[in-house]
Amino acid sequence: MRDVAVMGVGMHAWGKFPETSVTELCRVAVEAALADAAIGWRDVEAVAAASSRFSGGKGWGLNGNDVVEDMGSTGIPVYNMSAGCAAGGNAFNVGHALVAGGMHDVVLVVGGEKMPKGFIQTSGVEEETDPEYLRQRCVGMPGPAFWALLCRRRMDELGTTEEQLARVAVKAHEVGRHNENARFRQEFTVEDVLGSALVSDPLRLYEICPVSDGAAAAIICSADAARRIGGDPVWIAGSAVATARFDDGLPRGLAGIVPTGMAHHSEAAMAVSKALAQAGAEPGDLDLVELQDNTVYYELAFPEEWGLCKPGEAEHLLEAGETLPTGRMPINPSGGFLCFGEATTAMGVFQVCEVTWQLRGQAGARQVPDAKLGLAQTLGLGGNGTAVVLKR
Amino acid sequence: MTQGQAPAVEGLFSEDGGTARLLGSRCGTCGTGYFPKSGLCHNPACDRSDMSDAAFGPAGTLWSYSVQNYPPPPPARYDEPYEPYALGVVDLDDGLRVVGRMDVAGPESLVAGARIEIVIGPIAHDEDGTELVSWKFRPAEEGRDA
Ligand SMILES: [Zn+2]
Repeated sequence: MRDVAVMGVGMHAWGKFPETSVTELCRVAVEAALADAAIGWRDVEAVAAASSRFSGGKGWGLNGNDVVEDMGSTGIPVYNMSAGCAAGGNAFNVGHALVAGGMHDVVLVVGGEKMPKGFIQTSGVEEETDPEYLRQRCVGMPGPAFWALLCRRRMDELGTTEEQLARVAVKAHEVGRHNENARFRQEFTVEDVLGSALVSDPLRLYEICPVSDGAAAAIICSADAARRIGGDPVWIAGSAVATARFDDGLPRGLAGIVPTGMAHHSEAAMAVSKALAQAGAEPGDLDLVELQDNTVYYELAFPEEWGLCKPGEAEHLLEAGETLPTGRMPINPSGGFLCFGEATTAMGVFQVCEVTWQLRGQAGARQVPDAKLGLAQTLGLGGNGTAVVLKR
Repeated sequence: MTQGQAPAVEGLFSEDGGTARLLGSRCGTCGTGYFPKSGLCHNPACDRSDMSDAAFGPAGTLWSYSVQNYPPPPPARYDEPYEPYALGVVDLDDGLRVVGRMDVAGPESLVAGARIEIVIGPIAHDEDGTELVSWKFRPAEEGRDA
């Protein structure tokens, strides 16, 4: 395995852009990443792209092909990666493998998405053999309801309060308002959050991420190419993908096993521990984490499931300000999904952009002081989990 | 089921003498239960898949619960005007963690660990007025621990 550097990152702001195509969103992100790396489009040897179910890609998830046709058809290989909301992280992992394995020296990783209005329709097929179809048809349990079930369990088990849930959203906006790429940049009080409508009891509108349009891109290079290009490399210390284990206790589909241990989101925990192991790092070595906060619940549960803190400790760390950029365990200094909304397949690349800016010290008012090691994590439908550890 | 009723999806449950059961399968080698039916045991620790039909329920314990406060996107079904419904995750005594709607008015009375029984009940009506039914979870009656 060769060392791989992130040499350039770029983003189109997140929001709702009815007049702009997903290809135009990606163009802004790709051009920014190329400029950041100080290379041109013709230097790119391959593309690893996130496949979108909702926009572009000729309806087949061929979103990388759209980007290549738009930027200039140089004949390079394109890999379109599909992994639900983990597609961006998955594309990054494949891009990393292409460079680390010696196949290419300069690879573009890109994810862009325009989301339809309203809550995400999780099942794309109307077949009675599809577990996600059955779950929606016979029960009617969309994403937020699933998160609400996990959150309620935590409340019953650990005593998490509604005010503590609201505080996660308040903290997200406290840092996210400093991010010029964020869609929601206003500050909220606990009262504001608790006054927002219940979406799926106990979760409220301001405690779950809406859907957004957005795009993000990263240029990753071999060490040789990085030296040739010059500039300011951030190194990929670990990159891992995992899928959910059989003994995972999450209620996916209609039914699963009753787990003997406490195993939730095993795909996320395994990807994170594998990426940390590759980096030779312990959870406590991380200076910042960008995690997939589809809802406030995850910002409490994930750090505990990954060993960043003890079970039941997350609420205390939140209330003590330790998850702020200036705290002991900074979580989502970007503002996270709560401030950006989810442009599903772009999110894994969006996180890489933020961690890169943090490690370079370019994050302005949301900067984690002296950040040297950062984690980015996504998960998606089908039990897909990804994690990247970047270091300076 | 009575006349004018139809299952939301065929073949997933039975109701016999007022007792509702989920129709799945179980592996004879490792004992793992599946709902809906599975043609293969998915347990990677199992050496030989040996599947046969098995019915599950009706008794279990509530693992968690929630409320669907807004109308769910398709392919979920509901009647207009929309009325929020409660959802649950139940660990059945015969070894399955199952999702379903709750047969209760609101979540106020619910608590994780409560005893539950499966019932068959309406979730919506078809265009022709047919009542679509599915499995639901109801708090077990005192002294009648199903
Ligand atoms: Zn088996």
